[in-house]
Amino acid sequence: MSANEVDILLVEDNQDDMDLALHSLRRENLANKIFVARDGEEALEFLFCRGAFAQRSFDHPPKIVLLDLKLPKVDGIEVLRQVKGDTRTKLIPVVILTSSKEERDVVDGYNLGANSYIQKPVDFEQFRSTVKQAGLYWLVTNQPPPTNGKGHALEQKS
Amino acid sequence: MPPDTIEILLVDDSPSDLDLIRDALAACPCQGRVHTVPDGEEAIAFLHRAGVYASAARPDLIILDLNLPRKDGRVVLADFKSEPTLRSIPVVVFTTSHSRKDIARSYELGANCYVSKPGSLEDFRKAVQAIQQFWLSVACLPD
Amino acid sequence: MTDTATSTASEAECPASDSTLRVLLVEDSPVDAELILLELRRGGFEVSSDLVQTIEDFTRQVRAHPYQMILADYNLPQWRGIEALGVLRREGLDIPLILVSGALGDVTAVECIKQGATDYVLKDSLARLPVAVRRALQEKRLRDQRQKGEKDLARKVEELARSNRDLEQFAYVASHDLQEPLRMVAAYTQLLAERYRGKLDADADKFIGYAVEGAVRMQTLILDLLAFSRVGHNGNGGKTSDCNRVVEEALLNLKAAIDESGAVVTQDALPLIVAEQAQLIQVFQNLIGNAIKFRGKEALVIRVSAERQGTQWLFEVADNGIGIAPEYHEVIFTIFQRLHARGEYPGNGVGLAICKKIVEHYGGRIWLKSEPGQGCTFHFTLPATPADEKDIHASRHN
Repeated sequence: MSANEVDILLVEDNQDDMDLALHSLRRENLANKIFVARDGEEALEFLFCRGAFAQRSFDHPPKIVLLDLKLPKVDGIEVLRQVKGDTRTKLIPVVILTSSKEERDVVDGYNLGANSYIQKPVDFEQFRSTVKQAGLYWLVTNQPPPTNGKGHALEQKS
Repeated sequence: MPPDTIEILLVDDSPSDLDLIRDALAACPCQGRVHTVPDGEEAIAFLHRAGVYASAARPDLIILDLNLPRKDGRVVLADFKSEPTLRSIPVVVFTTSHSRKDIARSYELGANCYVSKPGSLEDFRKAVQAIQQFWLSVACLPD
Repeated sequence: MTDTATSTASEAECPASDSTLRVLLVEDSPVDAELILLELRRGGFEVSSDLVQTIEDFTRQVRAHPYQMILADYNLPQWRGIEALGVLRREGLDIPLILVSGALGDVTAVECIKQGATDYVLKDSLARLPVAVRRALQEKRLRDQRQKGEKDLARKVEELARSNRDLEQFAYVASHDLQEPLRMVAAYTQLLAERYRGKLDADADKFIGYAVEGAVRMQTLILDLLAFSRVGHNGNGGKTSDCNRVVEEALLNLKAAIDESGAVVTQDALPLIVAEQAQLIQVFQNLIGNAIKFRGKEALVIRVSAERQGTQWLFEVADNGIGIAPEYHEVIFTIFQRLHARGEYPGNGVGLAICKKIVEHYGGRIWLKSEPGQGCTFHFTLPATPADEKDIHASRHN
């Protein structure tokens, strides 16, 4: 799989949550390629096209990043800060998907430029439904920022 | 999120579109309270609680058209997204244009997302309801 | 100042025929002047000429009359004949100048050519003069032709650029400002229909139906026109696109239609092409979309494949739908050309026109093979990428 054609970057260290999210997204057939980063460092390497992902290009960003906040190595807030702080990556839509509902985290998230913030439901079915709706909204309803690689804003998705 | 009424600020200069949007929003039980302003200047005044809007509610969500008289949507974005106390408010740019330039510009100015107004009545309603569904039922809005 | 000498002054005043060579002689020796003219006539020229000796007279003459050739002596009493070149430059005149001179010395001769003299002929080899003149005239002719060609081209390019700008502006206005009032009409007539259906008389229902239909058709027409007009305006910058990915995106865009029709789409390994991805997506999306639209009663099967043929790739999109009679195989690529009544199949008839425009923009061809009731196979060619190590980009994802 070419790392340049990823539609969704899922940043999640919890195996159960990851499996559930992947399952929900794939079921809806919303995205052809989903890449999972297991910690903040891997997420940053992926998005900044360095290290193991040096062959990735800034011209082909993912359409959406689903970002957990509690991550090993580098936490979600720091990932968000770096991604939204760099002109090469700041337009990439980042949706925080985390178990925390601390008001502090919500406000910080939005202030740092997160496009949205979703609290992971505890309930299995609700979690699935939430991920599905988030996927539908950000991949179908929303128009992502155009890219040099493949911006096609005139395309009408039927 | 505490179940207070969600305040939605709707910025659009087209009365016919405003009616359509309000109509579509009202169809859902989870609606918020909708405030409308017809141009960018009033939108900015509303957000800053200036003049007649001194006691305006702080919006939890803004639905913003781009092409507005006096000050357009881009000016509104530039204004409040650079304001520390206001910038956390999510903005959905909801506008006729499909152009790459407009989409890119909106994101650059801090729009959270961008939805092109569909042409057909059915799709228009679906789009509004999708916006409402996501932002009012799925996402957490900052207080 | 001295007046222009010679009996030939009057010749230049009279309108000369086209084949007459109009010459300005810069020469202080009347004898030499005569010899020069004699040699030209002997060489087959009809000549009308003027003679000047000073730089002032020269300047005055070139300003006043059109000359095709200047023949100048190098050594004149008060100036070097070569200074005439400076005058010509200042006056913005491009007239060939040949030095006709006594012994010149190689260095000087080369220097004169460098400064702009077309040629030089020694006075004791005057027989060479007609040949030199002919060559100089020929060079001038070619130069003039080329300049005219360049000017014409520049003008055409400017006209085209202006026309493109107008078109882009029109397209933008059409996309933007027309959409909103159209939506007003479409949405509110639909709302009328919803709210009042059955409550007004039957005619009202019908009228509202027509109004809605008209508005909706206008909307799609405009979007289609826009899509068509935008083809070819996007620079590509030599980027390659992976056709496997392209088809996947097209299928994603057609997801609802594919699900509804139960179509099965198979996709062979497809190559990389130097073309803009968005445009390639349009091509495949239109072809596959048509296959879905014009399906028959049996389960729809669509196959996308590609075959290398020399410096091109030959793509195929084949379906088992209703097919198209051969007499329509040319005309369907015309914009807005439809083969069916509006009620039978939707669409404005622009999809294939767009495909054709895009394919031809990249130097390819598009055609089809089909009979009614026997499905369609659309073929189109696109140039292969020059640096192709492997013939087929065969990575399958997921």
